[in-house]
Amino acid sequence: MNPAALIPTADILTAHWGWFQFLLMLTFPLHLIAMNAMLGTVLTAFIAHLFPGRAYHDLSHELAKALPFLVAFTINLGVAPLLFVNVLYGHLLYSSTVLMGLFWLAVIPLLIIAYYLAYIYDFSYKKLGNLAMFVLLLVLTLLMVVGFIFSNNMTLMISPASWSRWFATPGGNLLNLADPTLVARYLHMMTGSLAVGGLCVALYSSVVLRHDRDVSEVGVGLGMQLFTWLTGLQLLVGTWFLLTLPSEVMKRFMGGNTVATGLLATGILLAFASLITGYQRKVMLTLWLSLPLIYVMSFMRDSVRTGYLAPFFDMAKVPVNVQWSPLLFFLVTLVLGLALVVWMLAKTLSTKKAC
Amino acid sequence: MNYPVWFVPSFGGGLLIALVAIIHVFVSHFAVGGGLYLVMVERKAIKEQSQTIMAFVKRHTRFFMLLTMVFGGLTGVAIWFVISLIHPAATSLLIHTFVFGWAAEWVFFLVEIVALFVYFYTFGKMDDRTHQTIGWIYFGAAWMSLFLINGIIDFMLTPGSWVSNNDFWSGFFNPTFWPSLFFRSFMSFMLAGCYGFLTATFLEDDTTRYRMIRYSGTWALISLILSVPAGWWYLTALPSPAARLVSGASPTIKRAVMTGAFSLAVLAGVLIALILLNPKARIRSLIVIVMIAAMGYMGAFEWTREAARRPYVINEVMYSNGILKKDVERINQEGFLKNAKWVQNKEVTQANQLEAGRELFLHQCFACHTVGGFNNDIVSRTKNMSFGAMRKYLTSIHEKRYFMPPFVGTDVELKALAAYLTAGLHRKPLTDDSGAAGDRGKVLYEDNCAACHSADSIKPKMKGWDLAKIRASLDKLSALNPAMPDYNAPSADKDVMAGYLFGLNNPGAATSAKEQGATLFDDNCAACHSMDQIKPKMNGWSREKIRASLDKLSALNPAMPDYTGTPAEKDAMTEYMVKQTGGAK
Repeated sequence: MNPAALIPTADILTAHWGWFQFLLMLTFPLHLIAMNAMLGTVLTAFIAHLFPGRAYHDLSHELAKALPFLVAFTINLGVAPLLFVNVLYGHLLYSSTVLMGLFWLAVIPLLIIAYYLAYIYDFSYKKLGNLAMFVLLLVLTLLMVVGFIFSNNMTLMISPASWSRWFATPGGNLLNLADPTLVARYLHMMTGSLAVGGLCVALYSSVVLRHDRDVSEVGVGLGMQLFTWLTGLQLLVGTWFLLTLPSEVMKRFMGGNTVATGLLATGILLAFASLITGYQRKVMLTLWLSLPLIYVMSFMRDSVRTGYLAPFFDMAKVPVNVQWSPLLFFLVTLVLGLALVVWMLAKTLSTKKAC
Repeated sequence: MNYPVWFVPSFGGGLLIALVAIIHVFVSHFAVGGGLYLVMVERKAIKEQSQTIMAFVKRHTRFFMLLTMVFGGLTGVAIWFVISLIHPAATSLLIHTFVFGWAAEWVFFLVEIVALFVYFYTFGKMDDRTHQTIGWIYFGAAWMSLFLINGIIDFMLTPGSWVSNNDFWSGFFNPTFWPSLFFRSFMSFMLAGCYGFLTATFLEDDTTRYRMIRYSGTWALISLILSVPAGWWYLTALPSPAARLVSGASPTIKRAVMTGAFSLAVLAGVLIALILLNPKARIRSLIVIVMIAAMGYMGAFEWTREAARRPYVINEVMYSNGILKKDVERINQEGFLKNAKWVQNKEVTQANQLEAGRELFLHQCFACHTVGGFNNDIVSRTKNMSFGAMRKYLTSIHEKRYFMPPFVGTDVELKALAAYLTAGLHRKPLTDDSGAAGDRGKVLYEDNCAACHSADSIKPKMKGWDLAKIRASLDKLSALNPAMPDYNAPSADKDVMAGYLFGLNNPGAATSAKEQGATLFDDNCAACHSMDQIKPKMNGWSREKIRASLDKLSALNPAMPDYTGTPAEKDAMTEYMVKQTGGAK
């Protein structure tokens, strides 16, 4: 069966596709940062449990307090890019979602359990005692399973060639396990996430926890170690992922497409640079190198998707019926909303200082 | 047709949507009302300088944070996940039309989260004025989420002029936007008030407890009273087919409205009694009942809204099965399978008829019907129908039962679907008996019995049998001869065959009118009720009464469409019914 015959017709866009692409690429890295911080916090807090001493103990406790916020913001900041992916690639995403419906739906209960466990860890930290680290392990496992489900759907939606399996198995219990890029891609995402997560913990420890020198120091130490080890490992995993890509997609990064090749080169340079500054435990400098790296990685991920979909789908050919006023309404809301958030955070900070 | 279908035969997606939606509706409305409740009670605590009330608000805030932010936020995402799985075409249309509405809603969700975190974690640390402002921001953001989602949800029920101009704002500020917004706002205040009403009973200090019970109770009662005219306004704003559905054309919808009204009455009564009589009594369990009633009221409203949209998922735009109304005529010409993406049989042949029928079922019926499941089971709903009757029924399914979408496709495809629903699901014969009323009994006999014994061979064995005995024996053929398999056919088929067999030994018997009556019954009535089901209801009815009732079926039950047959056909059906119910009196 011709895979293209299964691809649903895309619906009309209400703004030029560039707007949605811009908003997607703007918000998706924000989700990544929150998600990375969340995963890194869980892993660091878990590792801290394995070390004896007050400083490690207190570090776990401090990280516990941040966890519910991170889960909340990861979910919230995930909504926006998912919305824009729905607009640009909805016809592909809904098809793959139906194929793996059962697993996709499982994301919700898994997240609810992880979220409540995060609160239990936070609110009952002292009561839990040694059990606390197992709660963390469970949270980490649940979140990584959610990540695996997402990796499956994000790869399945760009692989219409494997969609015809639905005719024999329409019950929503398919995954994309036969895809040779799946495991490498998932590990690439997880390694990167946990590395950046470690960096976030180091930042949190050096800024927010600086009032307690010991805790701050072990936090920075653990976080930066996590960052450097995993970024080192990432050079291998990332290369593996690149090599598993279909040749026509891989060639985009090997000179076939100037932008994609430039992104890869920039990415490698930034990764090496951050590896050096990470090794030197320069938190802020590593952060300033990693933030653009996250954006570069997001753009590379998008380039992979474009490469996969090139034979099937051209965004520029989707019909457009431009309506400016809703877009304007959203932009105004966004500016006002962000202003309110900034005002509230400023008030909170001044309250803390006063305390 | 544009998308694959998540096919778990015994489990319908509709049930899943309802389940997730109901949970989310309660929690999200609760969050909105709770926002206002928190700031108002905090204000009261500040004004009265009451530490107990302040502690009460703080406990509430923590509960709101855990329930609404975690559970409410995630069930909101869950609805999105579920609808894109069950109704991908409709979800895509909504997302594409209202993307910037959803995006703005996301901003308010973000503001809501930040505000609630700040509000909770700065209790007692921030100055009162700023803390109150943060509370108001939380409520404002939560209410704006309601405002935005309300526009999109009501668009699905009343898309208004969007249908012709496709303009965002026309769809958003649709005919039911304002009444629904008022109704939902009051409902959300009521739910929050009810919760405060309940938790106030746990306060240890007597004076504060009575004060808070009175405060929360009054809050809930006022919201409830205000919701009544808003609900009425909403009902009057419904477009005519939906309003007809709500006012009685569909029994299930009618029941839902009744339940809502009943819960409302109970709720109001209990609330008033509680507040006016004695807040000092042991009232906790009563308040639990109040809460359940409040949720029933709200649930009935949501159910009504969902049901009133049928057969559309987006009223007048897209049917529940994802087919756009504007495409129907074209697809009827060109063929459904040819236009569908996710089918293997692009045209119907003799060899693939059942398989093509199954694919048609999957894409046109499964959105609402399970196969052997709890929700709208297609197997039990089609068991009384023969192939011919099913074909006839499918041609006018939407006209006969408004809340069912029309069959979309060519005649050959319709035949394939009918074949699947009868031969595929029930192994019924694919005899094209439509229009062959006089010979139908013979056709059925030949299809089902003649392979083993001809009519001539059994004729002597039935000599002297009356019609009732023949009919009864058809229900249990194995009792006549253990070697004979039972005849598993709808009772209407058995009636017709009994008439035919009776006629073998009684050629003068006036069976033709009766047979025609049986066919007419089969074609026009059996989709909803078999003869066995209505027999007890007609017990003792005279021939005249039966005949007269056929002239005005909607007088018997508003959900029943009037029978539009000719007087002669009504006479024939009367004859048939008279025989079935034990003869005229």
